Amino acid sequence: MRSFISNFKERLRLPRLFFRKPSRAEQIHGGPPLEFERPIPPVPWRGMAVVVVLVVITASVGWELYCRAIGYGPTLNDNEDLWTLRRRAVTPESIVIIGDSRGWFDLDLDELQKGLGKRPVQLAMGGGCGYPLLANLAKDESFHGTIICSVVPRLFFAPPGTPPMERAEKAVKRFHSQTPAQRASQYLAFPLEEQVAFLKQEELTLDDLLKRLPIPNRPGALVPPRLPPYFGTLDCERRARMIEACARPGSELAQRIQQIWIPLFTPPPPPTYIPKEQFVAKIGEAIGNRFRDITIAVEKIRSRGGKIVFVRFPHSGGLKELEDRETPRAKTWDPLLKMTGAPGIYYSDFPELAGFNCPEWSHLSAGDSVEFSKRLIPHLRTALKM
Amino acid sequence: MLFNSLTFVVFFVIVVTLYWSIGSWTARKNLLVVASYIFYGAWNPPFAALLFSTTAMDFWLGRQIGKAKDRHKRRVWLVASVCMNLSMLGFFKYGNFLLQNFQWLLAHIGIIYQPPHLDILLPVGISFYTFHSLSYTLDIYRGVLQPTRSLRDFILAVSFFPQLVAGPIVRAGDFLPQLVRPQPLRAGQFLWGVAMMTLGLFEKIVLADTLLSGSADRVFGYAGPLVALDSWAGVIAFAGQIFFDFAGYSTCAIGAALTLGFHLKDNFRFPYAAIGFSDFWRRWHISLSTFLRDYLYIPLGGNQVRPFRAALNLVIVMFLGGLWHGAAWTFVVWGLLHGSYLVIERVSRILFEDKAWANNLATRILAGAATYAAVCIAWVYFRASDFTIASRMLGGMFGQHTHGDAILSTREMLQVALVTIGMISVHCSLRDSNIETAVTRLPRWIVTAAWALMACAIILTQGTSNAFIYFQF
Repeated sequence: MRSFISNFKERLRLPRLFFRKPSRAEQIHGGPPLEFERPIPPVPWRGMAVVVVLVVITASVGWELYCRAIGYGPTLNDNEDLWTLRRRAVTPESIVIIGDSRGWFDLDLDELQKGLGKRPVQLAMGGGCGYPLLANLAKDESFHGTIICSVVPRLFFAPPGTPPMERAEKAVKRFHSQTPAQRASQYLAFPLEEQVAFLKQEELTLDDLLKRLPIPNRPGALVPPRLPPYFGTLDCERRARMIEACARPGSELAQRIQQIWIPLFTPPPPPTYIPKEQFVAKIGEAIGNRFRDITIAVEKIRSRGGKIVFVRFPHSGGLKELEDRETPRAKTWDPLLKMTGAPGIYYSDFPELAGFNCPEWSHLSAGDSVEFSKRLIPHLRTALKM
Repeated sequence: MLFNSLTFVVFFVIVVTLYWSIGSWTARKNLLVVASYIFYGAWNPPFAALLFSTTAMDFWLGRQIGKAKDRHKRRVWLVASVCMNLSMLGFFKYGNFLLQNFQWLLAHIGIIYQPPHLDILLPVGISFYTFHSLSYTLDIYRGVLQPTRSLRDFILAVSFFPQLVAGPIVRAGDFLPQLVRPQPLRAGQFLWGVAMMTLGLFEKIVLADTLLSGSADRVFGYAGPLVALDSWAGVIAFAGQIFFDFAGYSTCAIGAALTLGFHLKDNFRFPYAAIGFSDFWRRWHISLSTFLRDYLYIPLGGNQVRPFRAALNLVIVMFLGGLWHGAAWTFVVWGLLHGSYLVIERVSRILFEDKAWANNLATRILAGAATYAAVCIAWVYFRASDFTIASRMLGGMFGQHTHGDAILSTREMLQVALVTIGMISVHCSLRDSNIETAVTRLPRWIVTAAWALMACAIILTQGTSNAFIYFQF
């Protein structure tokens, strides 16, 4: 009797694989029975299509008018593709702004161009950690320009795997892997987003609208805090400006956003599945590693003749109290400057920078950002020895 | 480019407009070839050259198989085609996986070997177009297809852009006959194609990406133990997500092909209404399951052999089906689980088929529910990136983590529940029917309203260009 294995081997021999003799009807090219035709439902397609087009146009126009009526205006969406377009604009000698949304809202590119002699490239991102881009620029052997790095400790020292890190890493990854199709989509999106107010990817999508439904959660459910609503516009250079409805002192929108920052900037409770001491040690280690990595990146850039300055931008109210308590200057800012040996500008150290009020506690209004940039320039020139 | 991107919208409008304004059939086919290569090259232009070279090789090998009178020669040419296609797939898709496993094996016998990490970029859709192309030489060898004389026609059959990167796996034998003579432009067919594209995009952008993917991603990405409710919600969300994602792509592909006058077969037929696993595989990714059936299962002997051998055939086919989906052991386990399900089902049929209770309504409902639950359990291995996550998920689902965390909001759970109930209801009600029959039978105003509502929902969702899950395969 033949063994199972030899039988099996025989079965696997290619000639045996295709032993089925096809019928005569199957031996064809270009005729039945392999031809297949899908059924088309016998309904009045033209009339239905006209109605659908009319409904879609009417609904879109109605939605656009409603969005404008409640304060939304057309603006570009900040996404990885727009960021990548700006990243591609970085030349070896560029001045580059990196970090979080404060570097994004509070710096005016026109003023910086006047004061520093070059138009900076805006690469800071809302809710993002500056480190991945710092590392990316450090890795770029051709880069020996100037970096203005905004520091919000909770974001800048965010451990790997957290949303600020993931957001920034996703953008850097897109810079390296952007396909021609993604690039083309971004160019096609410009004219649409500049004209249509409801095209807001983190604000007016179905998902965002559903998130606003007032449905209570289970007690103890670990649900992420809400993100702030729309309060700024963005142009194709990624210059962010606060909208007037938020910039008005004491406005309802500004107050609403203030209450959103607090849970967003409050450290989450330690996870239940790791002992607290272990978790604290792990976070401590991650922060230590971040200090080390930042120092290495800064050294690399400086060794090629590049320059970097860290900037702490104005913030106020309850958010300032929270940041001062959770991420005190002595444990974040001071060691950062000490370890990297890089210059830093802490807004509250200089009276001319300290007097600005942030309407929603975290960013300057569009008007104030221009004045702040003007006043910041001498400090930048000194720090960067320009 | 992705179906759910602005680039595709512009590309598609240009291609369709040019296609129907050109009178010459040859020029139309040339246009489609160029368009398909632009579509593919928009991901990574050099991979278009790879696609062309494998296609051209198979075209030439197909002719050699067709020309050879001697059986031995035919076999040699076929082996060359199979080896060329599978080695290409093996290098790009399984290169690092094989090296890692080789390293692991050597380590077990005491040899320390550090393989170089091959920085291989996986050409998008390679698993699909390899099978498109392979079906051609296989069918010529089997004698069910004669080699085409036109390289251009064969290039188009392999690279036709609607089905190029994520299926359905369209066999050359199904597509080449459609290239013989042109189809006239028919308004009904064209608009039904547009409606199917709307349905497909709605499934992908609204149902999969907006309503389900968030819950699935959070549950599978959570590093700690979860309570049973959240674990099941995450798995059920993924079961819906992968269906809407993949079926959405297939529906878009079928619709896009229809607008150009081509007919592609269904790739999904309401799979979550399946009663039993063989029924499931007759409804899920039909083009892959029939490919494996015709080119692997039947040649292995199918079910015309002793029961043990038939069971082994099933497991082999599902093992390879699992591996086709991805170079990871989790996919292999997923395939083997389905293989075991099929074997258990076959044994149960032998034992209970004649019993009166086996075919009553209650048993059928129970069997349907059990099929869905078992398919969901298998999805855990499909979605989890490693066995630690899979074990933690299964632990949560079966109540091992009574003190685990709850991470889903009530809104997310409601979304998962409502979409899943809706999906299963539609699948059950259309189980023995099809979408065309449903559209014909429903009142016109309901069809029109549903079409308009889907289009509005797509616009409202603003498609954030998430790649289709099956692109990675």
